[in-house]
Parts: sequence; structure tokens; C-alpha cells
Amino acid sequence: MTTLDSKTHGLDHAHGGHHDEGSYLTPRGGWISTVIQWATTIDHKKIGVMYLTAILFMFFLGGVAALAVRFELFTPVRLDANGNVTGQWLAHLPLVGNVEGETQNVNPGNNLYNRAFTLHGAIMVFMVLVPSIPASLGTFLLPLMLGAKDVAFPRLNLLSWYIYLFGSIFAVLSVLMGGVDTGWTFYTPYSTTTDADSWRVVLMILGAFILGFSSILTGLNFVVTIHKLRAPGQGWFDMPLFVWAIYSTSIIQVLATPVIGITLLLLTFERVFHVGIFDPALGGDPVLYQHFFWFYSHPVVYVMILPAFGVISEVIPVHAHKKIFGYRAVAFASLGVAAVSFIVWGHHMFVSEGELAATVFSALTFLVAIPTAVKVFNWIATLYKGSIALTTPMLYALIFLFLFTIGGLTGLPLGTLSTDMHLHDGYFVVAHFHYVMMGGTIMALMAGLHHWWPKMFGKMYNSFWANIGAILVFIGFNVTFFTQFILGVKGMPRRYATYVDELTIYHQISTFGSVLLLIGFLVHLFVFVHSLVAGRQATQNPWGGLSLEWETETPPIEHNFHHEPVVKHGPYDYETTVPPGWDPKDYPIPHAARSHAVVVKH
Amino acid sequence: MNLTSLYTLAFDKPAAKLPAHDLWFSDHAATTAATHTDWMFMWLFWFCTAWFVVLMGLMVYFVVRYRRRPGQIAPYSPSHNTMLEVAWTVLPSLTLVFMFFEGFKGYADAAVAPGNAIEMQLKAKKWSWSLIYPNGTESPEQVTTSPAGPVKVPVFYVPEGTPIKFRMSSSDVMHSFWVPAFRVKFDVFPNRYTTYWFKATNLDTTDPATKTFSADEKVDPINVKFAGRPYIDHYIFCAEYCGDQHSEMAGIVRVVPMDVYLAKIEAWASESLEPWQIGERVYQQQCIACHSIDGKANTGPTWKDLFGHEVEFTDGTSLSAADMSDDTKFANYIRESVYMPSKKIVKGYQNQMNTFMGMVNEKQLDGVIAYMKRLSEKGQPADKK
Repeated sequence: MTTLDSKTHGLDHAHGGHHDEGSYLTPRGGWISTVIQWATTIDHKKIGVMYLTAILFMFFLGGVAALAVRFELFTPVRLDANGNVTGQWLAHLPLVGNVEGETQNVNPGNNLYNRAFTLHGAIMVFMVLVPSIPASLGTFLLPLMLGAKDVAFPRLNLLSWYIYLFGSIFAVLSVLMGGVDTGWTFYTPYSTTTDADSWRVVLMILGAFILGFSSILTGLNFVVTIHKLRAPGQGWFDMPLFVWAIYSTSIIQVLATPVIGITLLLLTFERVFHVGIFDPALGGDPVLYQHFFWFYSHPVVYVMILPAFGVISEVIPVHAHKKIFGYRAVAFASLGVAAVSFIVWGHHMFVSEGELAATVFSALTFLVAIPTAVKVFNWIATLYKGSIALTTPMLYALIFLFLFTIGGLTGLPLGTLSTDMHLHDGYFVVAHFHYVMMGGTIMALMAGLHHWWPKMFGKMYNSFWANIGAILVFIGFNVTFFTQFILGVKGMPRRYATYVDELTIYHQISTFGSVLLLIGFLVHLFVFVHSLVAGRQATQNPWGGLSLEWETETPPIEHNFHHEPVVKHGPYDYETTVPPGWDPKDYPIPHAARSHAVVVKH
Repeated sequence: MNLTSLYTLAFDKPAAKLPAHDLWFSDHAATTAATHTDWMFMWLFWFCTAWFVVLMGLMVYFVVRYRRRPGQIAPYSPSHNTMLEVAWTVLPSLTLVFMFFEGFKGYADAAVAPGNAIEMQLKAKKWSWSLIYPNGTESPEQVTTSPAGPVKVPVFYVPEGTPIKFRMSSSDVMHSFWVPAFRVKFDVFPNRYTTYWFKATNLDTTDPATKTFSADEKVDPINVKFAGRPYIDHYIFCAEYCGDQHSEMAGIVRVVPMDVYLAKIEAWASESLEPWQIGERVYQQQCIACHSIDGKANTGPTWKDLFGHEVEFTDGTSLSAADMSDDTKFANYIRESVYMPSKKIVKGYQNQMNTFMGMVNEKQLDGVIAYMKRLSEKGQPADKK
């Protein structure tokens, strides 16, 4: 443990050497110096909170774009008897004028619609889903769960945050200049030829390129932190499963993100310098782009969902006071998913590539289903004979299980070749990945946020209203997206600004659901703001968690722990351990188990 | 009963409709391969529904049954069971193997065209489809009530019960040819050919979606001959995002009896048209998405009053009214604009158009020029209009 000691001492130094034991949130000095302290902080908790704020803001921006999309699709676009175009909603909004240089279109609404869905996709993927749980909850919690004072490279951590900010500014700039209509996938040769006279597309591509570096550096930091900074007594299989999930995620981030970096750079070269790589007019091949793009973008789907698995693996045992079922299976399933994720990218091209490739990738794709299903079985088995409290985090974990199971099962008709030829690039796919990405990742983020909110900010929130918000989100989500499964089977293609008459009713139900979703998230916003302003003080361990973050104060002190913690019990040993900060009277361990009981003293 | 027949009984009834089929599909599968796809989808639907009900049923039961009671902690129960864990890993994997093979079978049927298929060429561009029949003709028919948005879309005639193979290519970006009723789509590339084949099921006059030709000669005089004969229309959509009017890049596949199909393509081949009529047809099939003929601006400039009026270009040069009234200079300008559209960009517009080299031949180009003159006040011969 000497190496660990010297490392933590080194960190003391990095933090400025002072030994103030106040909460990390306590302002020191006036507001200007507080702002400077936050902007220059190398404290992983502050960086995590800054990520969280930025990600929630981006989620709001992406959500507005999503509502614009649903708004436009409320009615189909038609010509009336007088030759006037009807059913265009975005074109009549006074706030958004027509995009410069593009005023000539017979369908000005299409143009805005195309920009709205691109904006929605690009923001949600690159600025929300990829960083979501690892950057916000991961940065905040990883050192706490390992009993460390910070991540392995605190300054690199701050750099990652600024790179994220810098990349986001590029993307926002591109939006302010009029937005991009390429779709978030930037498929060539459309993306290299559209808006030829403008820098908007290049800015958006560079934004995604820069964001990739934030992802790589964060991943690298986490891998080293997990290898080197575990507390004394914490072996690999004593780590909380959230850490295992973050570990698997980080490996994908480090290995796959450089590929998208190179691809986006090649795309920029082609667009700006007309070097022929992907555009057939310049001697390139558009399918090559798709291979490059999905070689990153498929593994990155697991960068989005694995941390969500991690959150759920924490929330369910803690709120059920029950040891997770099959710890090793869940941990290895994370690694298994990470490994398989690298060899299934070709299923995004079932209707582009040759027959042999399609067949091989279909077979490989089914492999992903196995570890994913195993995890769901384990979570449900964990509930068996638990002591289940229906708190907001638990409610969100159950919502996750419900929505993610639908998301996972609807992957089967997409992996099956014959049905995919019908469903590919249609609304069935749209609904499927919203069930996985929003029903999975975002619901897990909500579960995790409500789970660790008291620890992060030292305040409780109003559970009643938080539960109302969760139920509204759940209903709104299903109304919005389940109808899209039906739309997809009935023949609704993706990225259409209009549709045939028969589908009107489904689109209107979907738009109605999106309004419910909005109301649900507004309730949550109110609950969070109310908690920060007027929430009652949170105790050290409100849910009775056993992982190390619950052993320190709430909110944590600047250096996380008063003394380096020594791990004496597993993160889910509920049969034998009284949760830290709890009175043994409130947690009566049966006599038989008491001989092994550990009461953590503070 | 041997294993093979058991398998056949359990799984291999692709023609049979599984329950709740009509909840998902509002039309009939219109090809032989599509029937299998529908069956496969419904099989998966019931498989997924069963899993979902079991998993969620357990979840809800546990949450209610083991809700927290004050003063009690969860009793001990095993947190690991090798037999159970191996079972729930291996058994679902076996069903996945079945899905893969059954899906592959359907895919092989849908992807590999039989040798006797009639080959046609399908061309895609921003934002329209055109189909060239084996005798070199194209369908001039369009529907006025558009399935997707405010533009006219083409009607492609294909014979029932006959394997048809489209050799597909694009002249600009990627597109994807999708007929939802055929349950198959395939991407269309600018740098290689791809194939799309189907054998439309024989027309079923009891199906309410099946219509009959009326004796209206305005649509096509030849229709009179076929009054009362059945046909069925299916939508065509572009399923790969391709820009501004991606959602208007639609069409109709009209499945008709073989003799109707043959009569139609023969009639189109033997039509004798005035040059401007050829031009008008080219306009409707290929140019209408971006150019108006009523003076309204669109993605590209209008064709109304083009002849004889000055045009200014983005590079500062211009063609005077006199130049544009000169037959040769006007024709050269149009020729350049069709084949090398990025050479001169009219002021106020973007460099959006791709070359139509290979899409518009010399005869059609002459037609377009004649049609443009006809659309211009100054281009009208004294005896016309």
C-alpha cells in the first residue's frame, strides 16, 4: 500500500496542500474567487457537477429540437386546392427564419425539419448520451467508490472537461450559423456536398471530432484510476458493479473513439480539400465511410448503455437491500458486451453491403443479445426476497427494466435479416433505439441522479413530486415511442418531413406523448430546483448503501474521506452488514448472520 | 413423427397468419418473399411478448410481494446459482440460432433473384425515381394526389406473378429503394449497381385494395381497352436520407396483369411526340422537384420566361437578353446547365445540381430546349397561342 499512500500524498499537493475539511461545495472567498475556483478546479466532484450541468443543458437543447420534429410531424404536408402548401408547422414559426442561402425551396419546412432532426441527433449522441453517465456520475463517483481522493490524473480530468466545452461550442456555433442538415451520421456523399458554400457542416464535424478527445482522455483516466487507486482491501471483485461498467465503457472509449476521429478528419479533408475518399465523384466509396463510421458508432452505443447497466446494478441492490444476484456474471457480461460490440458494426449496413457480410454480421449480432439478457435476468432475480422500497431511484430502475426489455427484445427483428430488410431505416429502428438510449440510458441517468443527488448536493428532494414526474415520463415515453414501432412496420421511413394519410393518427398520438414527456421533465426540473433551494438536509446514507461513497460525509469533504478507507465488506453484503451511518436498531441483522456482521465505525 | 415434420408443424407455415397480424400490418404482403417476412415478424412478436410478460410479471410480483416492511431486513437467499445461470444463458441462445437461420432463409429469398427475372433499370437522383423498361421506354404516368407531400410522383407498371429484377443506380448521393408492401428495401449507390428483385403475388380481386381500370381516356387512351381489369398500387419511398425533398422522393408501383403491362410499354415505345412534349415529360420526371414552370422560385430557377431574358450569374458574368434570344447561344447555355451545372450558377441560387449526363440524352435535351421556349412569352412562334 505504500505506492497508494505516496500517490494520495501527491494528490494532496496537487489540491494546493490545504487541509480544509469542509464540504466540496462550501464557497471559499467571494463569488469571483468561487467562480475561479470552480473554473480551475481539479476536484473530480466539481468537474462532475459541471459536466452534469452542461449535459442537462444539452439535453434540454436536444429536447427542444425533438419537440420541433414532433411538432412538424403533427400533420402531413399537402397542397390545397389553391396550390398552397399546408401542414407545415416549423415554416410558420416567427422565431426561426429561413436558413440563409436556402430560401428558394418549395418546402421551406423540410429544410428546417432536416436541421431540427440533425440537431437533435447530434446533440443527443455526441453531447448528451456519450458523456452522460460516465462524465457526470462517473467523474463524481468513481474515486469515491474506490476510496480514492481523486482520479489518477486530476489535471487531465479538467482538460477533458474543457475539451468537451470547446467541442460543444463548435457545435453550437454551427447551429447559430444556420444548422446542419446532414443527419447525425454525416453519410457521404451527401455530407460532403450539402451546403457547399458554408462552414457549418465542417464546424459540426470538427465539434464531434473534438468531443471525441474528451471521451478518450476521460476513458484513459478512468482505466488507470481503477487499476491503481482502489482502496486497501478492495480487490477487483469487491468493486461496485458501477465501477465494472465504467471500466468496460472506458476500454471502448479508448479503443474505438480514435477511429471516428480519423474518419471525421478524412471527411473534413474531402469536404474542404476535395481529397477523394468517400465521394464517388472524386473516386471514393460511400460504403467505406459507413464501415468506418459504424466501427466507432456501434461500440459507442455500448459506451452509452453500459454505464446505465452500472447504475441499475447499484440502484436495485441498494433499494432492495439485497445482494446482487450473480455478481461475477454481471461484471463479465459488461466485459462481454464491450468485446462483442466491436464485431457487430455491419448490422447497420444490412441493406448496403453484400450478402456474405450481411449474413456474418447477423450471426454476430445475435451474440450481443446473450450477455444483455443475462443482466436483465440477474436484476430481476435480485429483487427476489428483497426488501424493496419504492423510492424515486427504484421507480426509475423499474422503468428502466420495463423500457430496456422492450428495447432489447425489439432488437431481435432488427438482427434477423429478413425482417430487417423491411424495418431498416424506418420508424421501427427509431423506436428501438429510443427505447434503448432514452428508455435505457436516460432513465438510468434519472435513476442515478435521484440515487446520488443527496450525496452530491447534500439535499433531499420531494419524493412525491419526483415520483409524479417519473410516472409522467414513463407514460409520455411509451405513448411517444411505442406508436413509432407500429409506424415503422406500416412503412414510415426515417427522416421524413411528411407522410401518407393513413399514418396521421399514429403521428398525432406520438406528438401528444412528446408533450407529456416535456411536462414530466419540467416536473423534475422543478423538483431539483426546489431541492437545491429549500430541500431538507440529507443524511450521510439515506438509502443504506454499502459502497464507499456512503461512508463519507454528505456532501463529501473536499478530499473525499477523512482517513483512507479500508474495505472490510463487499458493496452488496446486506445479509451481514449494517449500512454505514445507520443505527443497528433500524437494520436488525438476524441472529444467525450476526457473527459475521460488520459495523462500520466512523 | 420425426424431427423434420415437427419443425415444419411448429415453424414452417409461412403462409399462415399468426394472431394480431392486422394490428401491425395494414396491408397484405405483396410478394412471395414478403409473406415469409410477415410470418417471421409475427413469430418474433409473440416470442418477445412471451418473454416480456414473464420478465415483467416476475418483476411486478417481486416488487409487490417483497415490498419493504419496517423493522425487517431481507431474509437470506442465494445470490448465485450456477445451474440456473447456465440455463438462462444457454437456452435463449438456442432460440437465437433459430432466428438467425430463419431470417437468413427469408433474406436469401429476398436478396437473390432467379435467373429468369425480367431486368429493368431503376435510376435514382435527388429527388425522383425513374424506371427504364426492357424496351427502353419509361412510364409517363404520374399520380396527381401525392402519397407523400405536394409533388407529383411517377407510376411504374409491373406484371403480376413474374420475377422482376431492378438494376439500381444513383446519379448523386445515396438513396434507398423501399416498397413497404414488398417488405424489402435496398440502398442505391452512385458508384455501383445494386439489385432489387420481387415477384408480385397474383392480383386478388377480393382484396379491397385492388382497384380496376376505369374507361377514362384522359389518363391514357389505352386504358379504355382495359376497363374493369384489376390493378393494385403500392407506395415507393426513399429510405436513405438524401436532402431537402427526401420525403417527397416517392412513387407508385402498379401491379397489373401481364397483357396490360405489355400493352402499356409497347404503347409508350410507339408514341410519336412533338419535341416539346418530350421535354415536358423529361421535366415532369426529372426536373420538377427543383424547377417550377409558373415563375415561382424553388431550389433552382424557374423555367418560365427563361428564353429571351437576361440572366446574371454568381461569378459576376451574365447573358444578355439578346444572347438568350439567340437560338444557338440559348441552347448552348441550357446544354451546359444540364450536363455541367456547376459551371454557371444563377444569382440567388446555390450550387445544388448534379450533372444529368447519362440521364438526359440528346433527343431529350432538344425536347427540354423546345419545352423551355414554349414556356417563354418570347419563345412562342407567331402562329402558336
